Amino acid sequence: MILKVNNLHKKYQHADGVINALDQINFEVKEGAFVTITGSSGSGKTTLLLSLAGLIKATSGEIYFRDFRIDKANDKELSDFRKNHVGFVMQTFALIPYLTAIENVMLPLAVSRLPDSQKYEAAMDLLKLVGLENRKNHLPKELSAGQQQRVAIARALINKPSLILADEPTGNLDPVLSKEILDLLSDINKKQGITVLMVTHSPMAARYGTIQIQLQDGKINSIT
Amino acid sequence: MNIRKLVWVEFMYHKSQLISGLLAIMLGVAVIVGIRSISVVSEKAVAINLDNLGANILVLPQGSNVDNYYSADIDAPTFPEEYVERVATSSLAGVDNMSPKLTRRIIISGQKTVLTGILPKSELASKPIWQNSGLFGSSLKASCGPSPVNESLGYKDEKLQRKSIDSLAADDCMMGYSVAKRLNVKENGTIVIEGKTFKVAKVISETGTIDDDRIFAHLHTVQHLLGIKEQISAIEIMGCCNAISDGLLGKLRNILPNTKITTIGQIVATQIQTNKMMNKVSLIFLIIIIFVGGISIGNFMWANVNERRKEIGMLRMIGFSRAVIYKMLLAKAFILGVLGGIVGYIIGTAAGMWLGPEIAGLSVAPVPGLIGISLLISIGVSLIGALIPAYLAGRIEPFSNMQEG
Repeated sequence: MILKVNNLHKKYQHADGVINALDQINFEVKEGAFVTITGSSGSGKTTLLLSLAGLIKATSGEIYFRDFRIDKANDKELSDFRKNHVGFVMQTFALIPYLTAIENVMLPLAVSRLPDSQKYEAAMDLLKLVGLENRKNHLPKELSAGQQQRVAIARALINKPSLILADEPTGNLDPVLSKEILDLLSDINKKQGITVLMVTHSPMAARYGTIQIQLQDGKINSIT
Repeated sequence: MNIRKLVWVEFMYHKSQLISGLLAIMLGVAVIVGIRSISVVSEKAVAINLDNLGANILVLPQGSNVDNYYSADIDAPTFPEEYVERVATSSLAGVDNMSPKLTRRIIISGQKTVLTGILPKSELASKPIWQNSGLFGSSLKASCGPSPVNESLGYKDEKLQRKSIDSLAADDCMMGYSVAKRLNVKENGTIVIEGKTFKVAKVISETGTIDDDRIFAHLHTVQHLLGIKEQISAIEIMGCCNAISDGLLGKLRNILPNTKITTIGQIVATQIQTNKMMNKVSLIFLIIIIFVGGISIGNFMWANVNERRKEIGMLRMIGFSRAVIYKMLLAKAFILGVLGGIVGYIIGTAAGMWLGPEIAGLSVAPVPGLIGISLLISIGVSLIGALIPAYLAGRIEPFSNMQEG
């Protein structure tokens, strides 16, 4: 198992009372799976994704990445975990505006001790994979939304992750570009064996999942 | 791609914002460097003046001051040349020699310079080396005979100077080292001063004093050129110390009414007081720069951090630890400090070189030692100012504001 979630709870204090963002979440994910998490707005799907990445602390419960206990790790351990094992693809692309496409792809390696030439080669390979080798020196603002998301996917792959966490990766894209991006993620999942866990509200995108988790009011409604 | 490159690229991307961030620290450093450049030269000048000035009593017009003597103000008061004769004929014990001078600021080829009229023989005679000076306020000692110790402190080309001064004719002039260089005048060349052509009898070797910026000509020629007939602006007197303590100054005041008679010790004390004041001003600016510069850099860094919250949150998300974020922000502050220090040093030095001759009558040269101090102050202030913003940047949660478009 690459991911194991046991009895996960996340509560928020609010003026109107306690909100159960996640309530008794239990599931396991095998290596190489493509998991989609769907649900209506406020169902807790992004909260679950962030908890799995160690980006927010769960109120209670256990989250394992293989043998690593995410919910108990400190900030340094979580930074190392994300740096070494996780790739992120976000709805807003989250590219640095003043870095070129290839520099954005290399960004996660900025803290590594690899020689610059190796970083460059690795980034070029990934830009080729996403079909943007000719746009390597373009700034994000000089790229279309679909191209920006492909740069973000290349960046997510640069550290050779075991797990890609994608939060609404097609949320800002039209249907044609959405399909391109989903096909790319599916391809990466199948060919490289990288586990993908994708949050989406799109039924079309959800169908890409080999495992589909549906959340409702912070609880798992179904796993298929 | 590495952290250094990332910091630099971000730095250059926001370079337009740097001006406001750098302004306070840069100007603060510039002011300190400017003041120090002038005061360093001024301190040296005091020491060298003491070494080189033969006279130890200065007679100035009433209402005049030492600054007038050094800066050669255009409207500085004068007194009759006849006073020289009064002293000479008074047979006052302890007056070994005198050098009357008339000094005025003039413009040659569009450049400000100082013209000093001297009486050659008396000027020569008042350049002995018997005077032992106590620098920086300690008491002056002098004897009426040559001191073997101080003989070694004389000009290297003393004999040449004596010869030149001896032979200074009405159409001859002697050029200070700096003014000759500035006006591109060579020995035995000619120069037109106030419409009259002079032969340059000698270019004096560099002394490091105000004399470097002066042109010396015969007193009566200068009086004629400036239209200040039979007037002088100072008499330098070589007086015996024993005689000074026996009341020589009082006796001189009796025969020279409406004059201000002071000793070199007092002049030096005044100059040292000025230097001390300039150093205090530097210190005040140092304190101001620490507060204003630190706050300015802190404010700039904080605005930068706030603007980049989303970006920093993303960096944290992809595995940048808090320590790396601190380092990035402090590295940026370091670059700011280096830039502020270097630019501040350049501006301050340029200002010192420009204003030094104007306000202190001294040629100010760059002081290389101040570059280290400038960098130290600037980097220190930048890092201190950036500490809190860097700490707060490190506290930004990963994924911060990532959902916002």
